[in-house]
Amino acid sequence: MSATAKTLDKLIKKDYAPGFVTDLEADTLPPGLNEDVIRAISAKKNEPEFMLEWRLEAYRHWLNMEEPTWAFVHYGPVDYQAISYYSAPKSQEQPKSLDEVDPKLLETYNKLGIPLYEQERLAGVAIDAVFDSVSVATTFKEKLAAAGVIFCSMSEAIQNHPDLVRQYLGSVVPPGDNFFAALNSAVFSDGSFVYIPKGVRCPMELSTYFRINAAKTGQFERTLIIAEDSSYVSYLEGCTAPMRDENQLHAAVVELVALDNAEIKYSTVQNWYPGDEEGRGGIYNFVTKRGDCRGRKSKISWTQVETGSAITWKYPSCILRGDESVGEFYSVAVTNHCQQADTGTKMIHLGKNTRSTIISKGISAGRAQNSYRGLVKILKSAENARNYTQCDSLLIGDRCGAHTFPYIEVKQPTAQVEHEASTSKISEDQLFFCMQRGLSAEDAVSMIVNGFCKQVFKELPMEFAVEAQALLGISLEGSVG
Amino acid sequence: MSAAQHYVEHYRELASKLPGEHLPWLRRLREEAQSRFSASGFPSPREEEWKYTNVATLEKKLFVPTVGAPAGATDTNALARLRLEGAWLLVFVDGVYSAEHSVTANLPEGVIATSLANALEQYPDLIEGLLNQVVPEVAHGFIAFTTAYFRDGAFVHIPAGKVLDRPLQVIHFSTRPDGLSVTRNLVALEQNAEASLVETYAGIGDSSYLTASVTEISVGENAGFDHYKLQSETAKSYHFGGIYAREARSARLRQHHLAFGGLLARTEIHAQLGHAAECELDGLFLATGRRHLDTQTLIHHRAPCGTSRETYRGIAGDRARGVFAGRIVVHPEAQKTDAEMSNRNLLLSEDAEIDSKPQLEIHADDVKCAHGVTVGQLDPEAIFYLESRGVDEPTARNMLTFAFANEMVEKIRLSSLKRLVQSELLSFLPQSDIRKDWL
Repeated sequence: MSATAKTLDKLIKKDYAPGFVTDLEADTLPPGLNEDVIRAISAKKNEPEFMLEWRLEAYRHWLNMEEPTWAFVHYGPVDYQAISYYSAPKSQEQPKSLDEVDPKLLETYNKLGIPLYEQERLAGVAIDAVFDSVSVATTFKEKLAAAGVIFCSMSEAIQNHPDLVRQYLGSVVPPGDNFFAALNSAVFSDGSFVYIPKGVRCPMELSTYFRINAAKTGQFERTLIIAEDSSYVSYLEGCTAPMRDENQLHAAVVELVALDNAEIKYSTVQNWYPGDEEGRGGIYNFVTKRGDCRGRKSKISWTQVETGSAITWKYPSCILRGDESVGEFYSVAVTNHCQQADTGTKMIHLGKNTRSTIISKGISAGRAQNSYRGLVKILKSAENARNYTQCDSLLIGDRCGAHTFPYIEVKQPTAQVEHEASTSKISEDQLFFCMQRGLSAEDAVSMIVNGFCKQVFKELPMEFAVEAQALLGISLEGSVG
Repeated sequence: MSAAQHYVEHYRELASKLPGEHLPWLRRLREEAQSRFSASGFPSPREEEWKYTNVATLEKKLFVPTVGAPAGATDTNALARLRLEGAWLLVFVDGVYSAEHSVTANLPEGVIATSLANALEQYPDLIEGLLNQVVPEVAHGFIAFTTAYFRDGAFVHIPAGKVLDRPLQVIHFSTRPDGLSVTRNLVALEQNAEASLVETYAGIGDSSYLTASVTEISVGENAGFDHYKLQSETAKSYHFGGIYAREARSARLRQHHLAFGGLLARTEIHAQLGHAAECELDGLFLATGRRHLDTQTLIHHRAPCGTSRETYRGIAGDRARGVFAGRIVVHPEAQKTDAEMSNRNLLLSEDAEIDSKPQLEIHADDVKCAHGVTVGQLDPEAIFYLESRGVDEPTARNMLTFAFANEMVEKIRLSSLKRLVQSELLSFLPQSDIRKDWL
């Protein structure tokens, strides 16, 4: 084994630090899914009647749907009756302030490096912490309220802003959109709600931290972000889960609505437990994310760093409805050991002069399979639409796979669509060049990998970029060889 | 009655008249294929590979198989136009070999070029080792259809070390309205052999018919084969063509596909590469009117050191739709593979559509693979440049469209075929009635 081989090997075999379990008494519904479970969830959250109806309709739709099998991932059948659809830490009723939050919970977030006390936080980021099925704390609420921004958990939004919820929920991802979205619509328990009023530039970054803790549960959160005319918001999400031998299901839905001149920047660092080296355990991450550029000159930008999950099935998309709207997708997906990722985006061009950019970087190591799957669709109405797509794959090791499945559909002659993709490995020459200049093999590999991902990392907010780089190192640990 | 039932019914009576009926292995092959076809029917858009091409009309529009019946009247002028100078020629009229129009004199010793029906009489053992060996393992309805019901086809066998100095040409000519031509072509080159073959598909007038044709190619060790397909069917016809090739160690294959005709036409080109084999796939389609032209390629790199190059261009005008799907699979053992795919498309009208699906599936790490796709329109600056030199706009557009397409035509190595393709291209160009004196 050469020096580089050893380094890569070391790089790939690192531990999953957030893999601990918090011992908490939880209020968990028994496993199983039927209308009563949905009624129970809705009742627990004290929801208005329209929400219950909405959920039941989604559930009835879901019953008639089939689980999709077209993705390039393989897994055994999921028993949807063996999952518990609601689990909340059993503590007091809705905490009024952070001081009332169970200290064990606060400690969990501290251990994860997400201090919820505002003074300890780098100024400028407000956090909504979601633990299993419920939101446990939201920081900086007052400061945001002063600017007119609503940032709260979905449950609160349903209580306090039912009209907004009713108007926008399901307007981007309809309840019957796909199998997992329908399931989510029926049983979603919490998530974040963001509303940025007209002309407001959100004074700080908003962030949600998702944590799965309880065993044999699924997490089904739902996020809704509405940016009114000429507003701006940058939103980050992070996720972790304990190490367990069984697979857990995470089926989230994210909906973004950008009106005239509004801009939403949505960044994800996904680090769900990826399973062990043999592919035991890990999260099934089946997520529907979609943004609707409803207004003129609106812009939605997705940035994702996907390092975790046993299986990822995720296609953050943009519907470019408004004239001159812009959609962007920047992605780094890292798979190692037995992880499988099928991820990409959809850019649907409807408006005139709409533009979209797709930059996707896939890194595959160990026995992992990493696929980019994307759709660029230019409809007849999208005069002068423009798309540029670049997807590159890096292979580390001879037992992994990297795949590219783009779909390009153009119905408008003035459109200009470009797609390019390449696949390669870290060449001996590149490594030799770096090492010749005094870098260790490990540093050389990490530098090359970071360089490979740089186009995407530079889109991340500063704090996240640092975290993403560190994560990349961890995920690939032990993969060189 | 579904289309599958219709054809199964029809062929029940005709089965005994199909060639090779006396061969038990072939009878078994046909029966298996028929039961697969009757179970699956023609493919539906729900199948991923048929996402962009809907052949539902074939469920309603039923064609009449004509086994045994004499071939319809052949327009000799039309045939003569398609003939390549100096080529050995096999002509199939409505899917049946026509010795009258074929030219096979002076073939070099050991070279076989004849109809498959004849070959099944003369060389049944040779055919048994070749037929149905290269088609995809999971064959869709069309492939099963041709296996079950092929009436004839070309059989070409080049023995080891033989190099042909003249091209072979196979013309598939359809004359009968609502007719059905089902053919299987078999081409085998033994080691170190070299040959080039041109398949031409055409028909008379504006009759509507269905052509289903599968060509299996096996290229032996270090052999070289150039294969051309010119699809120039009539404006109302339906065409399915499958070209499935396997290359042995260090073999070289060049396939050039040119599609202009048909109402709904699809060609599949698959290649499996052995150790250090080379494969070059080129193609051009020009879809005008209400045509739907579909080209699907699949390259399997199954052994190390293979090289593949794909260059496809497509043009869609009027209300036409052009589809390209290319897939490259690099298997785990195929280290040092070098694969490239390029697909460039031109959209000429508001009502036309281009769909492209380039795919890479890579299971080995020491490889170089890349693909690129573009879809766009004619460069307005280039049009303006020509206009500023006194060329009117339609002519300028025509010149630029022709130039875009001609780059693919220039890749043809047979000059007689190049001339034929250029004249076909011009006749299919939008506004083809305008002056062509600039050529």
